[in-house]
Amino acid sequence: MILESFSLEGKVAIITGAGRGLGRAMAIRFANCGADIVAASRTLAQLEETAAAVRKLGRRCLVKPTDVTSSAQINTMVDAAIAEFGQIDILVNNAGIGEESFGKRIEKITDEDWRAGIDTNLSSQFYCARAALPHMVKRKRGKIINVASGYGLRGGKHNYMYACSKGAILQLTRSLALTYADDNIQTNCIVPGIFPHNAALMEFFKGGKFIPVGRVGEDEDVGPLAVFLAADASNHVNGELVIIDGGGLAGGITPTGVAPANSN
Amino acid sequence: MALPAGTRDFLLGGKHALVIGAEHPVGRVAAVSLAEAGAKILIASQEAGTAAAMKETAKAVEAAGQKNVPTQVQHAVIRADLSATVDLTIRKLGGLDILVTALDNPFYAPADATNDSDFDHVMEDNFKNVWMACQEAGRVMLQRGGGTIVVISNVMGERGVPNATLYCAAKGAVRNLVRALALEWARRGVRINMIECGWLDAAGSAQNSSDEFAEKLVKYLPYRRLMKPEELGGALIYLVSPAAGFVTGESIAIDGGLLCRV
Repeated sequence: MILESFSLEGKVAIITGAGRGLGRAMAIRFANCGADIVAASRTLAQLEETAAAVRKLGRRCLVKPTDVTSSAQINTMVDAAIAEFGQIDILVNNAGIGEESFGKRIEKITDEDWRAGIDTNLSSQFYCARAALPHMVKRKRGKIINVASGYGLRGGKHNYMYACSKGAILQLTRSLALTYADDNIQTNCIVPGIFPHNAALMEFFKGGKFIPVGRVGEDEDVGPLAVFLAADASNHVNGELVIIDGGGLAGGITPTGVAPANSN
Repeated sequence: MALPAGTRDFLLGGKHALVIGAEHPVGRVAAVSLAEAGAKILIASQEAGTAAAMKETAKAVEAAGQKNVPTQVQHAVIRADLSATVDLTIRKLGGLDILVTALDNPFYAPADATNDSDFDHVMEDNFKNVWMACQEAGRVMLQRGGGTIVVISNVMGERGVPNATLYCAAKGAVRNLVRALALEWARRGVRINMIECGWLDAAGSAQNSSDEFAEKLVKYLPYRRLMKPEELGGALIYLVSPAAGFVTGESIAIDGGLLCRV
Protein backbone atom coordinates (compact mmCIF):
# COMPACT_ATOMS: atom_id res chain seq x y z
CA MET A 1 0.00 0.00 0.00
CA ILE A 2 1.32 3.35 -1.05
CA LEU A 3 0.91 5.11 2.31
CA GLU A 4 3.18 2.55 3.98
CA SER A 5 6.00 3.82 1.81
CA PHE A 6 5.80 7.16 3.67
CA SER A 7 6.29 5.56 7.09
CA LEU A 8 9.54 6.24 8.95
CA GLU A 9 8.81 3.64 11.62
CA GLY A 10 11.99 2.18 13.08
CA LYS A 11 14.23 4.78 11.44
CA VAL A 12 16.70 7.16 13.03
CA ALA A 13 17.21 10.64 11.62
CA ILE A 14 19.96 13.15 12.38
CA ILE A 15 18.78 16.69 11.76
CA THR A 16 21.16 19.63 12.00
CA GLY A 17 19.74 23.04 12.79
CA ALA A 18 16.95 21.16 14.55
CA GLY A 19 16.38 23.83 17.21
CA ARG A 20 14.15 26.06 15.13
CA GLY A 21 12.59 26.86 11.81
CA LEU A 22 12.66 24.24 9.05
CA GLY A 23 14.80 21.88 11.15
CA ARG A 24 12.32 21.77 13.99
CA ALA A 25 9.39 21.38 11.58
CA MET A 26 11.13 18.42 9.91
CA ALA A 27 11.96 16.82 13.27
CA ILE A 28 8.32 16.97 14.33
CA ARG A 29 7.01 15.58 11.03
CA PHE A 30 9.58 12.80 11.07
CA ALA A 31 8.60 11.88 14.61
CA ASN A 32 4.97 11.93 13.59
CA CYS A 33 5.84 9.46 10.84
CA GLY A 34 7.56 7.18 13.34
CA ALA A 35 11.24 8.19 13.35
CA ASP A 36 13.53 8.72 16.33
CA ILE A 37 15.51 11.94 16.14
CA VAL A 38 19.03 13.14 16.81
CA ALA A 39 18.71 16.89 17.15
CA ALA A 40 21.92 18.84 16.59
CA SER A 41 22.59 22.57 16.61
CA ARG A 42 24.43 25.16 18.67
CA THR A 43 21.76 26.21 21.13
CA LEU A 44 20.79 23.68 23.80
CA ALA A 45 17.66 25.50 24.95
CA GLN A 46 16.17 25.44 21.44
CA LEU A 47 17.06 21.77 20.97
CA GLU A 48 15.31 20.94 24.24
CA GLU A 49 12.11 22.51 22.90
CA THR A 50 12.32 20.43 19.74
CA ALA A 51 13.05 17.32 21.81
CA ALA A 52 10.01 17.96 24.00
CA ALA A 53 7.81 18.14 20.90
CA VAL A 54 9.32 14.91 19.50
CA ARG A 55 8.88 13.05 22.79
CA LYS A 56 5.30 14.23 23.06
CA LEU A 57 4.71 12.26 19.86
CA GLY A 58 6.05 9.13 21.55
CA ARG A 59 9.43 9.09 19.82
CA ARG A 60 12.93 9.24 21.25
CA CYS A 61 15.12 12.30 20.78
CA LEU A 62 18.83 12.61 21.46
CA VAL A 63 19.80 16.22 22.04
CA LYS A 64 23.34 16.95 20.95
CA PRO A 65 24.57 20.55 21.02
CA THR A 66 27.02 20.78 18.11
CA ASP A 67 28.99 23.49 16.37
CA VAL A 68 28.54 22.22 12.81
CA THR A 69 31.58 24.13 11.58
CA SER A 70 33.72 21.72 13.62
CA SER A 71 34.21 18.33 12.03
CA ALA A 72 35.43 17.00 15.39
CA GLN A 73 32.15 17.97 17.04
CA ILE A 74 30.20 16.45 14.14
CA ASN A 75 32.11 13.18 14.48
CA THR A 76 31.32 13.15 18.20
CA MET A 77 27.64 13.81 17.47
CA VAL A 78 27.48 10.95 14.95
CA ASP A 79 29.25 8.61 17.41
CA ALA A 80 26.72 9.57 20.06
CA ALA A 81 23.87 8.86 17.64
CA ILE A 82 25.26 5.37 16.98
CA ALA A 83 25.82 4.76 20.70
CA GLU A 84 22.23 5.74 21.45
CA PHE A 85 20.38 4.18 18.52
CA GLY A 86 22.83 1.80 16.82
CA GLN A 87 22.01 3.07 13.34
CA ILE A 88 21.55 6.15 11.17
CA ASP A 89 18.95 5.89 8.43
CA ILE A 90 18.49 9.55 7.54
CA LEU A 91 20.75 12.59 7.64
CA VAL A 92 19.18 16.00 7.13
CA ASN A 93 21.81 18.67 6.53
CA ASN A 94 19.77 21.70 7.38
CA ALA A 95 21.91 24.03 9.50
CA GLY A 96 22.59 27.33 7.81
CA ILE A 97 23.19 31.01 8.38
CA GLY A 98 23.62 34.21 6.49
CA GLU A 99 20.22 35.46 5.42
CA GLU A 100 20.87 38.48 7.63
CA SER A 101 23.91 39.29 5.47
CA PHE A 102 21.76 39.97 2.38
CA GLY A 103 22.51 43.42 1.04
CA LYS A 104 25.91 43.74 2.71
CA ARG A 105 28.39 45.31 0.29
CA ILE A 106 31.42 43.29 -0.72
CA GLU A 107 33.95 45.64 0.91
CA LYS A 108 32.16 45.25 4.26
CA ILE A 109 32.36 41.46 4.23
CA THR A 110 35.34 40.26 6.27
CA ASP A 111 37.32 37.09 5.64
CA GLU A 112 35.83 35.82 8.84
CA ASP A 113 32.23 36.47 7.68
CA TRP A 114 32.94 34.64 4.45
CA ARG A 115 34.57 31.63 6.09
CA ALA A 116 32.01 31.34 8.87
CA GLY A 117 29.23 31.30 6.29
CA ILE A 118 30.84 28.80 3.96
CA ASP A 119 31.75 26.58 6.92
CA THR A 120 28.27 26.63 8.41
CA ASN A 121 26.29 26.25 5.20
CA LEU A 122 28.53 24.05 3.07
CA SER A 123 31.39 22.44 5.00
CA SER A 124 28.99 21.25 7.70
CA GLN A 125 27.06 19.24 5.10
CA PHE A 126 30.27 17.67 3.83
CA TYR A 127 31.46 16.86 7.37
CA CYS A 128 28.11 15.32 8.35
CA ALA A 129 27.89 13.22 5.20
CA ARG A 130 31.48 12.03 5.67
CA ALA A 131 30.77 11.00 9.25
CA ALA A 132 27.38 9.36 8.63
CA LEU A 133 28.09 7.55 5.36
CA PRO A 134 30.15 4.64 6.75
CA HIS A 135 27.20 3.69 8.96
CA MET A 136 24.84 3.80 5.98
CA VAL A 137 27.22 1.94 3.65
CA LYS A 138 27.55 -0.85 6.20
CA ARG A 139 23.79 -1.45 6.09
CA LYS A 140 23.45 -0.72 2.36
CA ARG A 141 20.71 1.80 2.99
CA GLY A 142 20.42 5.46 3.81
CA LYS A 143 18.95 8.81 2.88
CA ILE A 144 20.77 12.12 2.87
CA ILE A 145 18.71 15.27 2.49
CA ASN A 146 20.61 18.51 1.94
CA VAL A 147 18.80 21.79 2.37
CA ALA A 148 19.87 24.48 -0.11
CA SER A 149 17.99 27.58 -1.24
CA GLY A 150 16.59 29.22 -4.34
CA TYR A 151 19.73 31.35 -4.15
CA GLY A 152 21.64 28.17 -4.96
CA LEU A 153 20.12 28.40 -8.44
CA ARG A 154 19.99 32.15 -8.96
CA GLY A 155 22.19 35.06 -7.99
CA GLY A 156 21.32 38.13 -5.96
CA LYS A 157 22.71 41.61 -5.62
CA HIS A 158 25.18 41.77 -2.72
CA ASN A 159 24.65 38.08 -2.12
CA TYR A 160 27.96 36.23 -2.19
CA MET A 161 28.57 33.72 0.57
CA TYR A 162 24.94 32.64 0.73
CA ALA A 163 24.49 32.11 -3.02
CA CYS A 164 27.88 30.40 -3.35
CA SER A 165 27.43 28.05 -0.40
CA LYS A 166 23.89 27.11 -1.42
CA GLY A 167 24.91 26.57 -5.04
CA ALA A 168 27.71 24.29 -3.92
CA ILE A 169 25.22 22.21 -1.93
CA LEU A 170 23.51 21.26 -5.19
CA GLN A 171 26.81 19.92 -6.50
CA LEU A 172 27.59 18.12 -3.26
CA THR A 173 24.18 16.47 -3.62
CA ARG A 174 24.86 15.30 -7.16
CA SER A 175 28.28 13.85 -6.44
CA LEU A 176 27.14 12.05 -3.29
CA ALA A 177 24.16 10.71 -5.23
CA LEU A 178 26.30 9.23 -7.98
CA THR A 179 28.98 7.89 -5.66
CA TYR A 180 26.70 6.08 -3.22
CA ALA A 181 24.09 4.77 -5.65
CA ASP A 182 25.89 1.43 -5.51
CA ASP A 183 25.37 1.35 -1.76
CA ASN A 184 21.65 2.04 -2.04
CA ILE A 185 21.98 5.47 -0.45
CA GLN A 186 19.88 8.26 -1.93
CA THR A 187 21.04 11.86 -1.64
CA ASN A 188 18.59 14.59 -2.56
CA CYS A 189 18.23 18.29 -2.01
CA ILE A 190 15.37 20.46 -0.84
CA VAL A 191 15.45 23.90 -2.42
CA PRO A 192 13.26 26.21 -0.35
CA GLY A 193 12.12 29.52 -1.75
CA ILE A 194 11.20 32.39 0.56
CA PHE A 195 10.71 31.23 4.16
CA PRO A 196 11.22 34.39 6.24
CA HIS A 197 11.96 33.65 9.88
CA ASN A 198 11.77 37.18 11.24
CA ALA A 199 10.15 40.54 10.59
CA ALA A 200 13.27 42.00 8.95
CA LEU A 201 13.39 39.20 6.36
CA MET A 202 9.66 39.48 5.78
CA GLU A 203 10.27 43.14 5.04
CA PHE A 204 13.29 42.35 2.81
CA PHE A 205 11.13 39.97 0.76
CA LYS A 206 8.18 42.40 0.71
CA GLY A 207 5.92 39.89 2.39
CA GLY A 208 6.32 37.56 -0.57
CA LYS A 209 3.85 39.47 -2.72
CA PHE A 210 5.85 38.61 -5.85
CA ILE A 211 5.61 34.86 -5.17
CA PRO A 212 3.32 33.25 -7.76
CA VAL A 213 1.06 31.45 -5.27
CA GLY A 214 0.73 34.72 -3.35
CA ARG A 215 2.28 33.73 -0.04
CA VAL A 216 5.62 32.98 1.59
CA GLY A 217 6.56 29.51 2.68
CA GLU A 218 5.80 28.26 6.18
CA ASP A 219 8.10 25.89 8.00
CA GLU A 220 5.38 23.21 7.99
CA ASP A 221 5.39 23.21 4.16
CA VAL A 222 8.79 21.54 4.16
CA GLY A 223 7.96 18.67 6.53
CA PRO A 224 6.01 16.44 4.12
CA LEU A 225 8.60 16.92 1.36
CA ALA A 226 11.33 15.88 3.78
CA VAL A 227 9.24 12.86 4.80
CA PHE A 228 8.88 11.87 1.13
CA LEU A 229 12.64 12.15 0.59
CA ALA A 230 13.41 10.28 3.83
CA ALA A 231 10.99 7.42 3.22
CA ASP A 232 10.89 4.41 0.90
CA ALA A 233 8.47 6.42 -1.26
CA SER A 234 11.51 8.05 -2.89
CA ASN A 235 13.76 5.01 -3.29
CA HIS A 236 14.54 5.68 -6.97
CA VAL A 237 14.80 9.45 -6.55
CA ASN A 238 18.48 10.32 -6.28
CA GLY A 239 20.54 13.44 -6.87
CA GLU A 240 17.35 15.38 -7.37
CA LEU A 241 16.66 18.97 -6.38
CA VAL A 242 13.09 19.54 -5.31
CA ILE A 243 12.14 23.19 -5.37
CA ILE A 244 9.48 24.24 -2.85
CA ASP A 245 8.88 27.90 -3.50
CA GLY A 246 5.30 28.62 -4.51
CA GLY A 247 6.34 28.63 -8.16
CA GLY A 248 8.94 31.42 -8.00
CA LEU A 249 11.79 29.67 -9.77
CA ALA A 250 9.52 28.41 -12.55
CA GLY A 251 9.40 32.04 -13.61
CA GLY A 252 11.61 35.02 -12.95
CA ILE A 253 11.85 36.70 -16.34
CA THR A 254 8.91 38.96 -15.55
CA PRO A 255 8.83 41.17 -12.44
CA THR A 256 6.36 39.17 -10.40
CA GLY A 257 6.64 35.72 -11.88
CA VAL A 258 2.99 35.91 -12.89
CA ALA A 259 1.47 37.25 -16.07
CA PRO A 260 1.15 41.06 -16.07
CA ALA A 261 -2.63 40.87 -16.31
CA ASN A 262 -2.78 38.75 -13.18
CA SER A 263 0.00 40.35 -11.20
CA ASN A 264 -0.36 41.63 -7.66
CA MET B 1 -0.10 -2.63 12.42
CA ALA B 2 -1.48 0.88 12.18
CA LEU B 3 0.48 3.36 10.12
CA PRO B 4 2.07 6.33 11.92
CA ALA B 5 -0.28 9.31 12.14
CA GLY B 6 1.98 11.49 9.99
CA THR B 7 1.36 9.35 6.91
CA ARG B 8 -2.18 10.75 6.90
CA ASP B 9 -0.67 13.86 5.28
CA PHE B 10 -0.72 11.84 2.08
CA LEU B 11 -4.28 10.53 2.25
CA LEU B 12 -6.49 11.53 -0.67
CA GLY B 13 -9.86 10.59 0.79
CA GLY B 14 -12.69 12.61 -0.79
CA LYS B 15 -10.59 13.57 -3.83
CA HIS B 16 -11.67 12.86 -7.40
CA ALA B 17 -9.00 12.03 -9.94
CA LEU B 18 -8.85 11.63 -13.71
CA VAL B 19 -5.94 9.60 -15.09
CA ILE B 20 -5.37 9.93 -18.83
CA GLY B 21 -3.10 7.40 -20.52
CA ALA B 22 -4.18 4.66 -18.14
CA GLU B 23 -3.53 1.90 -20.70
CA HIS B 24 0.22 2.46 -20.24
CA PRO B 25 2.15 0.80 -17.38
CA VAL B 26 2.96 4.25 -15.98
CA GLY B 27 -0.67 5.41 -16.11
CA ARG B 28 -1.78 2.16 -14.49
CA VAL B 29 0.61 2.67 -11.57
CA ALA B 30 -0.63 6.25 -11.22
CA ALA B 31 -4.26 5.13 -11.08
CA VAL B 32 -3.57 2.34 -8.59
CA SER B 33 -1.45 4.61 -6.34
CA LEU B 34 -4.18 7.26 -6.26
CA ALA B 35 -6.80 4.63 -5.43
CA GLU B 36 -4.63 3.20 -2.66
CA ALA B 37 -4.33 6.69 -1.16
CA GLY B 38 -8.12 6.90 -1.12
CA ALA B 39 -9.02 8.97 -4.19
CA LYS B 40 -11.89 8.01 -6.51
CA ILE B 41 -10.65 7.54 -10.06
CA LEU B 42 -11.91 7.70 -13.61
CA ILE B 43 -9.46 6.20 -16.06
CA ALA B 44 -9.19 7.35 -19.67
CA SER B 45 -6.95 6.14 -22.45
CA GLN B 46 -4.46 7.98 -24.63
CA GLU B 47 -5.61 6.17 -27.72
CA ALA B 48 -8.63 4.35 -29.11
CA GLY B 49 -8.49 0.58 -29.52
CA THR B 50 -7.11 0.06 -26.03
CA ALA B 51 -10.12 -1.55 -24.36
CA ALA B 52 -8.23 -4.66 -23.24
CA ALA B 53 -5.40 -2.74 -21.57
CA MET B 54 -7.88 -0.34 -20.00
CA LYS B 55 -9.83 -3.26 -18.57
CA GLU B 56 -6.64 -4.53 -16.98
CA THR B 57 -6.06 -1.12 -15.39
CA ALA B 58 -9.66 -1.00 -14.15
CA LYS B 59 -9.16 -4.40 -12.53
CA ALA B 60 -5.97 -3.21 -10.83
CA VAL B 61 -7.74 -0.10 -9.50
CA GLU B 62 -10.58 -2.29 -8.24
CA ALA B 63 -8.07 -4.49 -6.46
CA ALA B 64 -6.78 -1.31 -4.80
CA GLY B 65 -10.21 -0.78 -3.29
CA GLN B 66 -12.44 1.18 -5.67
CA LYS B 67 -15.62 -0.54 -6.77
CA ASN B 68 -16.81 0.19 -10.32
CA VAL B 69 -14.03 2.12 -12.00
CA PRO B 70 -15.49 4.35 -14.70
CA THR B 71 -13.47 3.85 -17.85
CA GLN B 72 -13.33 5.96 -20.98
CA VAL B 73 -11.59 4.72 -24.10
CA GLN B 74 -10.81 7.90 -26.02
CA HIS B 75 -8.20 9.56 -28.18
CA ALA B 76 -6.45 12.21 -26.09
CA VAL B 77 -5.58 14.42 -29.03
CA ILE B 78 -9.22 14.94 -30.00
CA ARG B 79 -10.66 17.97 -28.23
CA ALA B 80 -14.21 16.63 -28.11
CA ASP B 81 -13.03 13.36 -26.56
CA LEU B 82 -11.14 15.14 -23.78
CA SER B 83 -14.00 17.49 -23.11
CA ALA B 84 -16.42 14.56 -22.89
CA THR B 85 -14.05 12.69 -20.57
CA VAL B 86 -13.80 15.67 -18.21
CA ASP B 87 -17.61 16.01 -18.20
CA LEU B 88 -17.98 12.31 -17.53
CA THR B 89 -15.55 12.57 -14.60
CA ILE B 90 -17.66 15.28 -12.98
CA ARG B 91 -20.81 13.29 -13.62
CA LYS B 92 -19.53 9.92 -12.43
CA LEU B 93 -17.32 11.02 -9.54
CA GLY B 94 -18.95 14.29 -8.55
CA GLY B 95 -15.82 16.40 -8.96
CA LEU B 96 -12.37 16.78 -10.43
CA ASP B 97 -9.58 17.61 -8.00
CA ILE B 98 -6.66 15.76 -9.58
CA LEU B 99 -5.58 15.27 -13.18
CA VAL B 100 -2.72 12.93 -14.00
CA THR B 101 -1.53 12.59 -17.57
CA ALA B 102 0.65 9.68 -18.67
CA LEU B 103 0.78 10.52 -22.36
CA ASP B 104 3.69 9.20 -24.36
CA ASN B 105 4.59 7.88 -27.76
CA PRO B 106 8.35 7.44 -28.26
CA PHE B 107 9.81 8.28 -31.65
CA TYR B 108 13.32 7.46 -32.80
CA ALA B 109 14.60 8.43 -36.26
CA PRO B 110 17.46 10.47 -37.68
CA ALA B 111 16.47 14.10 -38.16
CA ASP B 112 17.34 14.01 -41.85
CA ALA B 113 14.94 11.10 -42.35
CA THR B 114 12.00 12.62 -40.47
CA ASN B 115 9.11 14.12 -42.41
CA ASP B 116 6.41 16.67 -41.62
CA SER B 117 3.83 14.04 -40.85
CA ASP B 118 6.21 12.51 -38.27
CA PHE B 119 6.53 15.97 -36.75
CA ASP B 120 2.79 16.34 -36.35
CA HIS B 121 2.40 12.90 -34.80
CA VAL B 122 5.26 13.27 -32.33
CA MET B 123 4.06 16.67 -31.19
CA GLU B 124 0.43 15.52 -30.97
CA ASP B 125 1.16 12.31 -29.08
CA ASN B 126 3.63 13.80 -26.58
CA PHE B 127 2.82 17.48 -26.28
CA LYS B 128 -0.43 18.66 -27.84
CA ASN B 129 -2.45 16.07 -25.93
CA VAL B 130 -0.88 17.19 -22.63
CA TRP B 131 -1.67 20.80 -23.44
CA MET B 132 -5.28 20.00 -24.33
CA ALA B 133 -5.81 17.77 -21.29
CA CYS B 134 -4.48 20.53 -19.00
CA GLN B 135 -6.73 23.07 -20.69
CA GLU B 136 -9.88 20.95 -20.50
CA ALA B 137 -9.38 19.76 -16.93
CA GLY B 138 -7.93 23.11 -15.89
CA ARG B 139 -10.98 25.06 -17.01
CA VAL B 140 -13.17 22.93 -14.79
CA MET B 141 -10.75 23.15 -11.86
CA LEU B 142 -10.54 26.94 -12.15
CA GLN B 143 -14.34 27.17 -12.17
CA ARG B 144 -14.67 24.84 -9.21
CA GLY B 145 -12.10 26.66 -7.10
CA GLY B 146 -8.91 24.68 -7.60
CA GLY B 147 -7.18 21.41 -8.22
CA THR B 148 -3.85 19.87 -8.94
CA ILE B 149 -2.25 18.40 -12.05
CA VAL B 150 0.69 16.04 -12.42
CA VAL B 151 2.12 15.50 -15.89
CA ILE B 152 4.15 12.33 -16.19
CA SER B 153 6.91 12.59 -18.76
CA ASN B 154 10.51 11.44 -18.85
CA VAL B 155 14.11 12.59 -18.57
CA MET B 156 14.28 13.30 -22.28
CA GLY B 157 12.62 16.59 -21.39
CA GLU B 158 15.90 17.57 -19.70
CA ARG B 159 18.65 16.39 -22.06
CA GLY B 160 19.28 15.65 -25.72
CA VAL B 161 19.40 12.16 -27.22
CA PRO B 162 20.65 11.60 -30.77
CA ASN B 163 18.13 10.22 -33.23
CA ALA B 164 15.37 11.34 -30.92
CA THR B 165 15.42 15.05 -31.66
CA LEU B 166 11.70 15.53 -32.17
CA TYR B 167 10.80 13.36 -29.19
CA CYS B 168 13.21 15.32 -26.95
CA ALA B 169 11.80 18.59 -28.28
CA ALA B 170 8.26 17.49 -27.46
CA LYS B 171 9.25 16.41 -23.94
CA GLY B 172 11.12 19.68 -23.42
CA ALA B 173 8.03 21.56 -24.51
CA VAL B 174 6.01 19.70 -21.89
CA ARG B 175 8.56 20.64 -19.21
CA ASN B 176 8.22 24.34 -19.93
CA LEU B 177 4.46 24.14 -20.37
CA VAL B 178 4.34 23.05 -16.74
CA ARG B 179 6.47 25.99 -15.58
CA ALA B 180 4.45 28.63 -17.41
CA LEU B 181 1.03 27.17 -16.63
CA ALA B 182 1.98 26.84 -12.97
CA LEU B 183 2.61 30.59 -12.88
CA GLU B 184 -0.55 31.42 -14.77
CA TRP B 185 -2.80 29.44 -12.45
CA ALA B 186 -0.86 29.86 -9.19
CA ARG B 187 -3.26 32.41 -7.73
CA ARG B 188 -6.31 30.60 -8.95
CA GLY B 189 -5.81 27.49 -6.87
CA VAL B 190 -4.43 25.11 -9.48
CA ARG B 191 -0.99 23.62 -8.93
CA ILE B 192 0.78 21.80 -11.75
CA ASN B 193 3.91 19.68 -11.41
CA MET B 194 5.71 16.90 -13.25
CA ILE B 195 7.27 13.54 -12.78
CA GLU B 196 10.09 12.71 -15.15
CA CYS B 197 10.68 8.97 -15.37
CA GLY B 198 14.08 7.48 -16.06
CA TRP B 199 14.53 4.66 -18.55
CA LEU B 200 11.59 2.38 -17.89
CA ASP B 201 11.47 -1.34 -17.42
CA ALA B 202 8.14 -1.78 -19.17
CA ALA B 203 6.78 -3.29 -22.34
CA GLY B 204 6.86 -0.86 -25.24
CA SER B 205 9.74 1.17 -23.84
CA ALA B 206 12.45 2.36 -26.14
CA GLN B 207 15.35 0.38 -24.70
CA ASN B 208 13.62 -2.86 -25.62
CA SER B 209 14.15 -2.01 -29.28
CA SER B 210 17.73 -3.24 -29.26
CA ASP B 211 19.37 -5.64 -26.82
CA GLU B 212 22.76 -4.11 -27.45
CA PHE B 213 21.52 -0.61 -26.59
CA ALA B 214 19.72 -1.90 -23.49
CA GLU B 215 22.86 -3.63 -22.24
CA LYS B 216 25.02 -0.51 -22.65
CA LEU B 217 22.33 1.69 -21.16
CA VAL B 218 21.93 -0.35 -18.00
CA LYS B 219 25.67 -0.17 -17.30
CA TYR B 220 25.47 3.60 -17.66
CA LEU B 221 22.70 4.05 -15.08
CA PRO B 222 23.73 4.92 -11.48
CA TYR B 223 21.71 1.98 -10.10
CA ARG B 224 22.62 -0.30 -13.04
CA ARG B 225 18.98 -1.09 -13.55
CA LEU B 226 15.93 0.35 -15.27
CA MET B 227 13.20 2.18 -13.42
CA LYS B 228 10.17 0.14 -12.40
CA PRO B 229 6.87 1.95 -13.08
CA GLU B 230 5.82 1.35 -9.43
CA GLU B 231 8.66 3.64 -8.35
CA LEU B 232 6.77 6.76 -9.40
CA GLY B 233 3.90 6.19 -6.95
CA GLY B 234 5.46 7.97 -3.98
CA ALA B 235 6.33 11.16 -5.87
CA LEU B 236 2.87 11.24 -7.43
CA ILE B 237 1.08 10.93 -4.11
CA TYR B 238 3.32 13.58 -2.55
CA LEU B 239 2.76 16.04 -5.41
CA VAL B 240 -1.04 15.70 -5.57
CA SER B 241 -1.50 15.78 -1.79
CA PRO B 242 -2.43 19.03 -0.03
CA ALA B 243 0.87 18.60 1.85
CA ALA B 244 2.63 19.82 -1.33
CA GLY B 245 0.61 23.06 -1.37
CA PHE B 246 3.73 25.24 -1.79
CA VAL B 247 5.12 23.20 -4.70
CA THR B 248 4.15 24.24 -8.22
CA GLY B 249 5.91 24.36 -11.59
CA GLU B 250 8.36 21.72 -10.32
CA SER B 251 9.43 18.35 -11.65
CA ILE B 252 10.66 15.33 -9.72
CA ALA B 253 12.83 12.94 -11.72
CA ILE B 254 12.62 9.25 -10.80
CA ASP B 255 15.85 8.28 -12.48
CA GLY B 256 18.18 6.98 -9.77
CA GLY B 257 20.43 9.99 -10.27
CA LEU B 258 20.92 9.74 -14.03
CA LEU B 259 20.48 13.47 -14.56
CA CYS B 260 23.41 14.17 -12.18
CA ARG B 261 26.04 12.54 -14.31
CA VAL B 262 28.14 14.03 -17.06
